[in-house]
Amino acid sequence: MDLIRYYIRKFFKLLKTEVFVLPSRMIVLLFIIGLLVLPLITNDPYLLRILILASIFAIFAASWDLLSGFTGQMNFGHALFFGVGAYGAALLNLHLDLPPWGSIPLGALGAVVAGLIIGIPCLRLRGTYLALTTLSFPIILMGIVFAIPEVTGGELGISGLDRIVRSRVGQYYITVVVMVVMVVAMWKITDSNIGIIFHAIREDEVAVRASGINTTRYKLMAFCLSGFFAGMAGGLYAHFMRIAGPSTLEVSMSFQVVIWAVFGGVVTIWGPVGAVFILFPLLEFFRFWPEFRMLLFAIVILLILLFMPQGLLPWIRDKIENECPRCKIRNVATRKTCRICATSMH
Amino acid sequence: MFADIIITSLINGSTYALLAIGFSLVFGVARIVNIAHTAFYMVAAFCIFFVTHHLGFHPIVGMLIGVPVVTLLGMVTYWIFIAPIREHEAAVLIGTIALAIALQEVMLLIFTGDYRSVPPLVPGFFTIIGVKVFYQQLITFVAALVILGALRLLLMKTRLGLAIRSTAQDREVANLMGMNESRVALYAVGISIALAGFTGAVVVPLTIVEPFMWLHPLIMMMAVVVLGGLGSIKGSFFAAYILGFAEAAVVFLIPMGAFLKGSVALSIMILVLLIRPEGLFGIAFEEER
Amino acid sequence: MKNLKSLLVIILAFFLVVTFCFPAWGAKTIKIGVIGPMQFVQGKGHWNGAVMAAEEINARGGVKVGDKKMKIELVKADSNEFLNVMDATNAMERLLTRDKVDFVVGGFRSEAVLAMQDIAMDYKKIFIGCGAAHPEICLRVAKDYDTYKYFFRGTPFNSRYLVRTCFIQMATVGAILKKSLNIPKVKVAIVASKAMWTDPMVKAAEGFIPKMGMEVAGVWRPSPVATDVMAELSAIQRSGAHMIFTMFAASVGIPFARQAGELKIPAVQVGINVEAQKEGFWQATQGHGNYVMTLNTYNNDVEVNELTKPFLETYMKRFGEPPTYTADTYSAIVYGIVPAIEMTGTLNADRLVKVMEVREYLVPGGKVGYIKDEQGRPLHDLKWGPGYLTSLGVQWQDGKQVGVWPNKWKASKDAPEITYKGIVPYKIAPWVIEKYKK
Repeated sequence: MDLIRYYIRKFFKLLKTEVFVLPSRMIVLLFIIGLLVLPLITNDPYLLRILILASIFAIFAASWDLLSGFTGQMNFGHALFFGVGAYGAALLNLHLDLPPWGSIPLGALGAVVAGLIIGIPCLRLRGTYLALTTLSFPIILMGIVFAIPEVTGGELGISGLDRIVRSRVGQYYITVVVMVVMVVAMWKITDSNIGIIFHAIREDEVAVRASGINTTRYKLMAFCLSGFFAGMAGGLYAHFMRIAGPSTLEVSMSFQVVIWAVFGGVVTIWGPVGAVFILFPLLEFFRFWPEFRMLLFAIVILLILLFMPQGLLPWIRDKIENECPRCKIRNVATRKTCRICATSMH
Repeated sequence: MFADIIITSLINGSTYALLAIGFSLVFGVARIVNIAHTAFYMVAAFCIFFVTHHLGFHPIVGMLIGVPVVTLLGMVTYWIFIAPIREHEAAVLIGTIALAIALQEVMLLIFTGDYRSVPPLVPGFFTIIGVKVFYQQLITFVAALVILGALRLLLMKTRLGLAIRSTAQDREVANLMGMNESRVALYAVGISIALAGFTGAVVVPLTIVEPFMWLHPLIMMMAVVVLGGLGSIKGSFFAAYILGFAEAAVVFLIPMGAFLKGSVALSIMILVLLIRPEGLFGIAFEEER
Repeated sequence: MKNLKSLLVIILAFFLVVTFCFPAWGAKTIKIGVIGPMQFVQGKGHWNGAVMAAEEINARGGVKVGDKKMKIELVKADSNEFLNVMDATNAMERLLTRDKVDFVVGGFRSEAVLAMQDIAMDYKKIFIGCGAAHPEICLRVAKDYDTYKYFFRGTPFNSRYLVRTCFIQMATVGAILKKSLNIPKVKVAIVASKAMWTDPMVKAAEGFIPKMGMEVAGVWRPSPVATDVMAELSAIQRSGAHMIFTMFAASVGIPFARQAGELKIPAVQVGINVEAQKEGFWQATQGHGNYVMTLNTYNNDVEVNELTKPFLETYMKRFGEPPTYTADTYSAIVYGIVPAIEMTGTLNADRLVKVMEVREYLVPGGKVGYIKDEQGRPLHDLKWGPGYLTSLGVQWQDGKQVGVWPNKWKASKDAPEITYKGIVPYKIAPWVIEKYKK
């Protein structure tokens, strides 16, 4: 009894000191609570559908950031992992009758293998070469998909997959919870030693190697981890849409994820997640003007890039928080003195 | 059969070469991966369609109007949207993607998604060693060589060319030497887009005009540029013909697998990169300061 | 500048909120959702056909539902299915939940229709497919009747019948070639774009052609979006083919026809070339698509029955161009849904389904009847054959698309001979005649 009370007190203290002090963390907390509480307020299946898809793509975008933002390996063919995860889960579900909670992780493992396969040739490539090479992998896989339609269903894809659960609300909760777990996992990875090495590899790979760290291993690890999360997103997508088709491998899918991540701010994990939850409903909103939809989307991107080239969310964060000049801890912008070291903030 | 393959690869290769040279130029000088390059090629194609179909002029007039229009459009959009964010590579990348999408949507709005076509500059065909070749394809091939020659002249013999070459080699020092580096980048962008427009004029009678026509050449063009080595115009030229040959070989030797020609070309590119990560003629960039 | 940025963010946030709060208008009308790729000619056909139907029904006061009359209200939904299947499913869900439509017509791309069908069946609303030909879409009805019974195929008949019709047309042209040009054995080059629907057709063609006394010269599979087919054409010419059996559903139909015409390849084209069905084909091929023959549903001069001409004329007058088969949303509404409602006096989907699946009725393209599979399970798929739906064979002759099949066609030995009103004789391209006539 006492133990439970202790943990609850500790949890609240943590909230008070770590979360409530910063507006950005408050927003994240409110956002997660909002997502979880939403089905209690409204039952609109269309709204839930949009949020489910947004959650799936949030995992996808965050996984791109893990690879290309943190580790600096610009991946323009991220749709490969998505497609492998989707097709993997679909094939397992259809031929081996595995239920979704089995086929999706196994499909994601397939994406991990794909990550290894493309990571190895990409080890020696840098910058734009890497970007353009990774672009070609999903295209090659699409060619293979069309070449063996008996297995992959050709351009029709694989249809008739099981739902994750019968009810829309159930699907919503499962997807949102999985998203939160995955994103937190990715965030924790970047916050750990591995994450530091990823940062370092991006900044100066030669120095990292000179420090004795096997960059090959860490780069491959980045590919595989990123592939795993993206594959999970692909599997979830396949089971939600109940169809896994070549549209999961398209160039536009790869470009979309890059747009989301850069729009939301690279080298954060929360940036792409936030961007997806802003841009995806926005694109749906633009349905009011069906001819101008994509055009408005492109213009929004261009304008945001013009004014906030680091990404929308970091820009917002910089407006509401400041960094203390002495101890480098973040504070609310309205504070005059730092909350930790009490120096003046100006 | 062999004659077919050789002739086809020469023609396809020329198309890719024309596109890749422009792309390589802008990358080498301004370090901008201009994903919208083929989108400008598409805009030029639509300009020509408009002039020939709605105004009724000969395609040459379309070309003379289309190329300057597209160049102007390119330079203006570059100045407004891309130049301010040049320092952020990632932002430039998706900025050009967004620009390409915007251009596509504008074309879709004006012309709708129906397929159009443009009459050739010189209609008809002739036969050479048993292979039928359109005059337009011959023009494409000759144009590729002419452009390469002209570009070489520009780069080697003129002051602007000198500025472009030195900016490509070392941006900061060129700036120190008194060349207005952003102005040079603007010119390079202008030349590159003019090339894209010109390619549109020359190649478009052989293909279909529609708002999504920029995606496929984009992939092949990037494959060519990567294979040849980024920043090397000579490399792009040769790589274009190599990949053109690969595609032609696939279509002729495996007619059942004709749809795989793109995948095969890309696989070849990856294989070469495995052996030589900078591409065939590329220069391995030192870490930029 | 700073204020401008903040304003931008606030505007974005406002839009997000508004998206989800926009109310759906309640109405005492019958709402029919029209879903299709609205930026493309197929979607425009969907919408135009539906608009024509709604105007006609509303002009006579509306639909009689029991003892009151209700007008038809159309809801347009852009599925964007060519580019994004997910967009299509989102649009369908929006139609059913936000706009609360009672019926849905449309759909084109088979991959997207499979996904959209699932959603409509979840909400138990009648969905009439007007564009996708894949048999799987209707097989689902037989396999799981209770879930999928709300789906009916409105147009076209499924791809197996498509194959059969094509082969008949190919055999007809082959016979014409043999007779007029004295060719002992006609060589056929099979050119099919690489796609799921063409794979079984290619196999079937390879088996069928020898049975007709013709020879297969070779098989070529270009990409559906190829823009240059010079290589294939050179090889076809070398193979000595007299006839090219085409199976194109996408853009490759244009460069193929154009380049074959420009190079004056000595072979006639017959089969399926979806681009050749459209009015814009002549311009798209710069006039070189002359003498290309393809399957089609409507032709300006051909009358299948007494409903055809009024439909074609009204459509032409209203929209300035002839209808494609996706405009059969008109028939789906005017001859399919509305009479069923008036017969049962209700909008209840289950009762309507029972009535719709047994009705047979005339439409501008022929007669609609729904078939069952070998085990007697309803497929809700269209019946093919003389007296029902046969479609047409059309050929481009000097800038005009004319109907050339069925021309004195007998489906079997005992079947009646059929020639629709307005059919004209098939013409062989002059350069082919020149090459082969002895």
